[in-house]
Amino acid sequence: MTKKYVGQNISKVDAKAKVTGKADYPQDLKFDNYLNVKIKRAPYPHAILKSIDLKQAKKVDGVVDIITGQDYPDLNKFGLIIKDQPVLIGIGEKMRFLGDALAIVIAESEEAAFKARDKISLEIEKLKVISDPFNAIKKDAPAIHDDIELCTDYISQDIGKQNILVDHYLKKGDINKGFKEADLIVENTYQTQHIDQLPLQNEAGYAVYDQYTEILKIWAASQWLHDTQADVAQALNLNKDKVRIIQTAIGGAFGKKEDISVHLHLALAAMHTKRPVKLVYTREESMISQSKRHPLTIKAKTGVTEDGYLTAWQVEVFGDTGAYASSGPAVVHKGMYHCTGPYNVANVKGVSYAIYTNNTYGGAMRGFGTTQMAFAYESQIDIIADKLGMDPAQFRYQNAYDTNSTTPNGQRLSKSVNTKRTIEEAVKLSNWKGESEK
Amino acid sequence: MKKQSKDVKNRPTSSGRDSKEYFRPKSKKELKEILKNNDILTIIAGGTDLLVSNYQKLYKIDKWLDLDLIDEFKEVKIFDDKIEIGSMVTHDRLVRLEKIKELFPILHSAALDLGSPQIRSRGTIGGNIVTSSPAGDLLPPLLVYDAEVVIISDQEERKVDLNTFFTGPKKNVLKEGEILEKIVIPLKKDKSRGVWKKVGKRKALVISSISLALNIVFDKDNIIKKAKMAIGSAAPVPLRIKSAEEILIGQSLDSIDYIKVAKAAAKQISPIDDIRGTAEYRISVAKNITKSALKEVTK
Amino acid sequence: MEIKLTVNNEKRKVNVKPHTRLIDLLREDLGLTGTKEGCGKGECGACTVLMDNKVVTSCLVLAVQADGSEILTIEGLETKDKLHPIQQAFIDTGAVQCGYCIPGMIISSKKLIDQNLNPSDDQIKRALSGNICRCTGYVKIVDAVKQAAHEIKSGVK
Repeated sequence: MTKKYVGQNISKVDAKAKVTGKADYPQDLKFDNYLNVKIKRAPYPHAILKSIDLKQAKKVDGVVDIITGQDYPDLNKFGLIIKDQPVLIGIGEKMRFLGDALAIVIAESEEAAFKARDKISLEIEKLKVISDPFNAIKKDAPAIHDDIELCTDYISQDIGKQNILVDHYLKKGDINKGFKEADLIVENTYQTQHIDQLPLQNEAGYAVYDQYTEILKIWAASQWLHDTQADVAQALNLNKDKVRIIQTAIGGAFGKKEDISVHLHLALAAMHTKRPVKLVYTREESMISQSKRHPLTIKAKTGVTEDGYLTAWQVEVFGDTGAYASSGPAVVHKGMYHCTGPYNVANVKGVSYAIYTNNTYGGAMRGFGTTQMAFAYESQIDIIADKLGMDPAQFRYQNAYDTNSTTPNGQRLSKSVNTKRTIEEAVKLSNWKGESEK
Repeated sequence: MKKQSKDVKNRPTSSGRDSKEYFRPKSKKELKEILKNNDILTIIAGGTDLLVSNYQKLYKIDKWLDLDLIDEFKEVKIFDDKIEIGSMVTHDRLVRLEKIKELFPILHSAALDLGSPQIRSRGTIGGNIVTSSPAGDLLPPLLVYDAEVVIISDQEERKVDLNTFFTGPKKNVLKEGEILEKIVIPLKKDKSRGVWKKVGKRKALVISSISLALNIVFDKDNIIKKAKMAIGSAAPVPLRIKSAEEILIGQSLDSIDYIKVAKAAAKQISPIDDIRGTAEYRISVAKNITKSALKEVTK
Repeated sequence: MEIKLTVNNEKRKVNVKPHTRLIDLLREDLGLTGTKEGCGKGECGACTVLMDNKVVTSCLVLAVQADGSEILTIEGLETKDKLHPIQQAFIDTGAVQCGYCIPGMIISSKKLIDQNLNPSDDQIKRALSGNICRCTGYVKIVDAVKQAAHEIKSGVK
């Protein structure tokens, strides 16, 4: 029997459009009579907006209008998991990172829009900026969000709760017993950094509002079409059936386009002007205002017997989730669940915190917290192997997951567990002959 | 809400108004005329730095002076005792010039490592010098080859030793109304051996974290007769490392104390911490590339 | 100011401002949106076009400086009813993922293949060193260039 698809090379349906330049990404669309939109963003990462002066900006030739929070006082906050991000920062309200939007500039040309954007003058009251999550969890640290308290009652008394977005706990076996069985206990702290997903296509889109049917259409990339539709509707107090999100070609996302980007500001501008509107982020704007891979601080304490079997693994994970929640609550604790990597450990204990700071918010990126953990556990494994005087490949192999192993959160792996085979292949392909013969 | 057809031929542009001045002289004579009649001009050569630093602010530039059409500035002339390279010679052309590869291999290598194919198509040797970044890739090689630059204005012409041209990061001795016309490199009889090293986060499109050019002349007994060394990205300006040169002169191949030379180099530089590396990292890499350059040149 | 240039074999006469970039001229004024902008600073290569047969990042060229030149963009490769062999090879080898880098990749590949019908892996990597693919599909892109060079050489297509 010939197979139609399985085992065959199938050309992507849109490959031809993409190699000829005909595939339309949002910035490639062109609507008649469209207007250009630019966003005035926070000049300081933590501050209260005292006043906003649009006089000079509105004088720029070609400016149609400028929208501020004062024009739309009833907007709701948005967000993927927790609705904590404002559409526009109003007078008296707080900006929490450099990506917060203060005004939407609408103009006939892109040049006029950014000229006007640069002529908006602001009065702000600066607040203490918290860029380090460990400062954010001090008892006397100012709260970045006054109205959000999600952390559990289990939280350690030593930690200031005011900037904890969520805390999660992990327990398998008996950690004290595990450390008692150990001949060697190794403790280290690992730190990872912000990484931008950097899809090649910057966030961009168009919106069109039909005032007769009251239907709002948005052409912009999204990784969660229906979530985006729901989030736009709730933030702008619209019925979901009046919001259409139209997926165009997407120039990469890698997690960065899970969050709302241009959608809400475009929607407001389209409804405000009743004309098609276009907004294209610059690379800087994309970097400043959209999500990053979370920097995680991972404190790992690992117990091992002298013949090289892991007995206990304890972690504390501190995730810098930045100014807004985005996917942070999911990323940070998912990372923690992977704290032992693909290695059998009977006794595991973990705690993770997603912590608000004034940095750009952390969100989804390929691996969702697990790549940061891999840096920690694989480093930990190498350090322990070195201390034991064991070959790191052998050390990995004898602790590796097999069929019927259980993960730290208690999942039994019943099928397709190829860790050992992977190590065997890696040893073979790399011609690894042990540490001493490197 | 129909999409506009993309097949419109010669659709009228939305950017037609022409309020500012854009000068495109076709000769040195025309250039001098423009310099005489205008003050503040923004000079564009290949544009690969200017368009980056003025991204989204290009409209603020009032008067442009574009050197792209001056053919005299694109000439490469070879004499018995020197070679003259016009300031508007692109990196791409520099790479393809056989004479440069043969006579100034380090300059050739540095041009080959610079930016990307796209940048090399547009960027010019004159632009690299005038931008005066401590990380400018062509600068250490030009320093070790004792290059001079010819500067013109509507009034006069002067020649400046490249060693005294740079005065700080992105600063140089050029005055308002002065233009870099050409680069003059002396041709020496001695046969030399050179090495170019560039360290950066990637191989392409990278501003170097540190770079090194080394050029050595051996006598017939394989004793170092002359030594020139320059390091980029490790001080406010690209720097000749004279202390290291002094140590090298008079040494034979097997008597070179690599560590001593490397330490001298590390001592003379004054790197800073920035996104391309910490000062500590740069000092350590400076030592390592000095050693590996010496090993390569003596091979 | 008025400039004249040839874009994809078609003569054009357009008005530009001194600060209009070549990419804006192509995308906004001429509607040739196959050329992409990824960074605006010459780092990513998505806006690569051929200008007088040289690869340039069109975000770093002033439109005025393209006066009198010949420009080739991705839209100029396809003939009436046939894809260019490089375009076909990119489809066949699965080199296209999100596709945003592809127009620039294909233009840089064309420049290479025009000069060298037997490019080695290293020569391909060097020729494409100014083009970034964030989906990290470089292996298949290199395959595509090789296949295209081979097909052009043997005159299959």
